Amino acid sequence: MIQIIDNTLTAMDQFLPTKEDLHSFCELLITIGVDMIEMSVTAYKRMEFLPEEGKFLLNISDREDKNPYPGFYRYISRYGEVKDDFIPEIQLNDVREIVKLREFHGQKDIRIVGLDDLICYSYDKVMKEITRSLPGCNIIFCPENSYQCAGALAIHWAMNYGKSLTTSFAGCKNNAATEEVIMALRLAARHKPNRNLTVLPRLTALYEKITGQRVGNKKPVIGDKIFHVEAGIHADGIIKNPNTYEAFCPLCVGKSSKIIIGKHSGTKAIKLKLAEMKLPIPNESGIHSILGEVKLRCMTERKSLSDQEFYNLVLEVTSNERGQTYR
Amino acid sequence: MKEVKHIVDTTLRDGEQSPGIALQVEDKVKIAKLLDDIGVYEIEAGIPMLGEAEEESIYRIMENRRKAKISVWSRMNINDVKRSLICRPDIIHIGTPVSYIQIYSKLKKNKGWVLKNILECVMEAKNQNVSVTVGFEDASRSDIGFLLSLTKELKKEGVDTIRIADTVGVLTPSRTKELLETIRMNTDMKLEIHIHNDLGMAVSNSIVGAKYGADLIDCTLFGIGERAGNCNLYDFVHSSESIFQFAMSKKEIRFVEKQVLEELKGAV
Repeated sequence: MIQIIDNTLTAMDQFLPTKEDLHSFCELLITIGVDMIEMSVTAYKRMEFLPEEGKFLLNISDREDKNPYPGFYRYISRYGEVKDDFIPEIQLNDVREIVKLREFHGQKDIRIVGLDDLICYSYDKVMKEITRSLPGCNIIFCPENSYQCAGALAIHWAMNYGKSLTTSFAGCKNNAATEEVIMALRLAARHKPNRNLTVLPRLTALYEKITGQRVGNKKPVIGDKIFHVEAGIHADGIIKNPNTYEAFCPLCVGKSSKIIIGKHSGTKAIKLKLAEMKLPIPNESGIHSILGEVKLRCMTERKSLSDQEFYNLVLEVTSNERGQTYR
Repeated sequence: MKEVKHIVDTTLRDGEQSPGIALQVEDKVKIAKLLDDIGVYEIEAGIPMLGEAEEESIYRIMENRRKAKISVWSRMNINDVKRSLICRPDIIHIGTPVSYIQIYSKLKKNKGWVLKNILECVMEAKNQNVSVTVGFEDASRSDIGFLLSLTKELKKEGVDTIRIADTVGVLTPSRTKELLETIRMNTDMKLEIHIHNDLGMAVSNSIVGAKYGADLIDCTLFGIGERAGNCNLYDFVHSSESIFQFAMSKKEIRFVEKQVLEELKGAV
């Protein structure tokens, strides 16, 4: 069974989230399919108590620090002697550092952080070597994302070698993005297909509120504009069958497809947009007039049109045509 | 000695399809020139069927180019190919639907129809002495047997490059490796890989594709493109320069990005 540990709440110490925001964040992470939530001592103090649902890990800097914080499923630390309910963490920056894992022989759990450029090397061989070095150990892999490959490495690990991953929402801890990993595992391994991802827009909004950072419009899975379609060929395909040009249904992540009118739109997209806006659909010649004006306007202004701009343009074109007809 | 890999930049085609931007002729000429200057191997300049402004862009890009090959994108449709030929590009790239969802569900056709049409399109271009590359659209969700049989037929017609397109961005590293290795084992044609970023794996899957047989890698500036975008040129070079040799440096790519941010920012 694949287990995903989300460590976003170890990256929010410099912000000032409220207790309620942090509790909501945990609730939403569990809703999308996160198995365990890792947090910092600061985050825990702000939360005041742990939510009833879910398993929680505490990231601490020294094993002696755990005593004031009972009730956690496990404690994660990069420092000190490792025993009992501690999960040690080791940073590997280079594949040659794998030999260091020998020191952890016999350990029940370990987290490996780093290996961000592993995809460039014999990643299968290295992952096999890691599992061989630590027989019987639950290896939690947390690839870093300095080379934009953390998601792929995490997926490859979970599908072929280990069972546990550490990720963060939107990849904010420079590791794999939780939502991308969950979606990739859902599509590639049918992992937790029943989990509810429709709350992702709420989770994204909460993340933006807490951090004050805006998630990019094109961010995979959660970006605001990933289901906006302009190109004629794609707009047509998506209306006929969304699976043709979308990896997953927008509704399943709480979003919907939107046809944007722009330079690449064709007559079909114009008709679809007119119907969507409940505007009368003119004859073919009228459609071509609108399309011609759309292309001209977009090129002049170097952008696509908003719905309001399109509406105004249609009114202008159709009234001009009427004027010419009656002249 | 690092293996040399060539960049096919599709900022002006797939990148521009991203809602939010609409490039003018001058913008496209400027971006193409900058890409040419840093050593991009092939610039996918646009889609002639879009209209006169697009055609003018392509003419002007052809006039101004120094070393890059200039390609245009065409649907697998004889009229589109004829219109593309008027621009006299170095390469016509013909996007060919290969997954069953595209062939049977979207187009309501069959594999025989695809084969007949692509061969007809290729022949039309070849008769005009224009090179053709064929793009297997939605290859990541297709029947590998069909891909291999198409590859064989295209080779007979003189096509020497095929593009494996992960049109909806669902490949994983394992599937990318398997797909590229299988095609590589069955043909000596040049392979090009075109990966979308829907699951955040465009850079990594492009690297895996390049490791297992792709000579040409499709990228865009800032990774712009449909939905979550394409393989980001800077990120790809940054991530794989330890194992591959490229014509351009990261610094040069950053310079180009700075020069064109104003024109492309609507899609970023």
